[in-house]
Amino acid sequence: MFDFDATLPLMAVQFLLLTALLNAVFYKPLMKVLDEREDYLRSGDTGSKDKLAKAESIVKEYERQIAQARRESQDLIQKAQAEAKEITTTKVAAAQQEVQSQREAATQEIEQQKAAAFATLEQQVDSLSRQILEKILDPELVK
Amino acid sequence: MDIQVASVIAAALAIGLASIGPGIGQGNASGQAVAGIARQPEAEGKIRGTLLLTLAFMESLTIYGLVVALVLLFANPFV
Amino acid sequence: MEILGALTFVNTYTLAELEVGEHFLWKIGNFTVHGQVFLNSWIVIGLLVIASLAATRNIQKIPGGIQNFMEFVLEFIRDLVRNQIGEKEYRDWVPFIGTLFLFIFVSNWSGALVPWKLIELPSGELAAPTNDINTTLALALLTSLAYFYAGLKKKGLSYFKHYIEPTPVLLPIAILEDFTKPLSLSFRLFGNILADELVVAVLVLLVPLFIPLPVMALGLFTSAIQALVFATLAGAYIHEALVDHHD
Repeated sequence: MFDFDATLPLMAVQFLLLTALLNAVFYKPLMKVLDEREDYLRSGDTGSKDKLAKAESIVKEYERQIAQARRESQDLIQKAQAEAKEITTTKVAAAQQEVQSQREAATQEIEQQKAAAFATLEQQVDSLSRQILEKILDPELVK
Repeated sequence: MDIQVASVIAAALAIGLASIGPGIGQGNASGQAVAGIARQPEAEGKIRGTLLLTLAFMESLTIYGLVVALVLLFANPFV
Repeated sequence: MEILGALTFVNTYTLAELEVGEHFLWKIGNFTVHGQVFLNSWIVIGLLVIASLAATRNIQKIPGGIQNFMEFVLEFIRDLVRNQIGEKEYRDWVPFIGTLFLFIFVSNWSGALVPWKLIELPSGELAAPTNDINTTLALALLTSLAYFYAGLKKKGLSYFKHYIEPTPVLLPIAILEDFTKPLSLSFRLFGNILADELVVAVLVLLVPLFIPLPVMALGLFTSAIQALVFATLAGAYIHEALVDHHD
């Protein structure tokens, strides 16, 4: 089992030859490919970084536009609200005025009718008082 | 004692005794590794790789005993 | 062999038998070599080279099919080496450690997945090249040479200063370490692969059908882990030689 012979040095030489052979046909070409790919990925990395920056700037631009649009719409809404308020206040004032004038007209009419009623009443008071007197006193006396 | 009988007994003793130490060691290492994984489950891959490597080292101690046993059985210089 | 030879009479039809230490010997001049190890390692090398050629024959910017798979393998190896050696110096060591990993991994799995028994050899049997101590020791010694080379190339002769730093008292241990490193590397790989094949062989000897399947699956798992361990340790040793102790 432990019989050392020429197998040992021959195997060592053979192994060194294998190392040289594999170095030529395996390690060198594939290491080169791996390194090249790494370089390529790294350069692709910077390209993608540029693209990322561009995309970010575009996003920022869009966000700015959106903020502006929002501000504008806010302004519009405020304006519209103010307008609406104005309109309502004027309308309310007009309506109130109308009501006021109508009420005044109505009170005037009432006053007039009151006055008319008083006038008729006063006329009737005369005749009525004469009738009362005639009834209580002698009719001749009244005359 | 007959030299062949002595060789067989010696071979059995060699492999038997040589497996005691590595057995204890491997148990220790595995236990510690499990504790490590329980404490830090995210390091499981690394711990397992190191554990397998160290187990192979301990295993080789038993293998040395086995080599001695094989020498005694198959390539005994005294028979 | 005589001891376990008694086991084979249980199995009258000899669906499987244990063969350890049997080699298909070739003689080259005065030297003998283990023929089955070389035969199988050539198959492994052929597989690796064909896969590499297929992956790099027509290289596309967007990978597909075999190229995608091999790129995945290469990225796995690259990450492994980078984790061990560090960003600055890992590129020089990707081929060596990567080939270690690929060769050991494909060898181990070829031994576990391919029914080599079907191919008759005059003696011995085809199996994973890594279940021969010569192969694993060759790989381990190459790893040692590699980390010496890494340290000497980077620091010159002052690399040897780390033997007497921080204190010369540790000099024997530091020198001993240089021997134990390849020893443990080679024995670990050899023992694991041989043990896997033996366990499967013993189980097949006892119960020829279905029962050995889970053990085979475990064998595949340990084979992969052992390739990973070998490559990781090689990277760690090289990193140790490269690192500066002064700062």
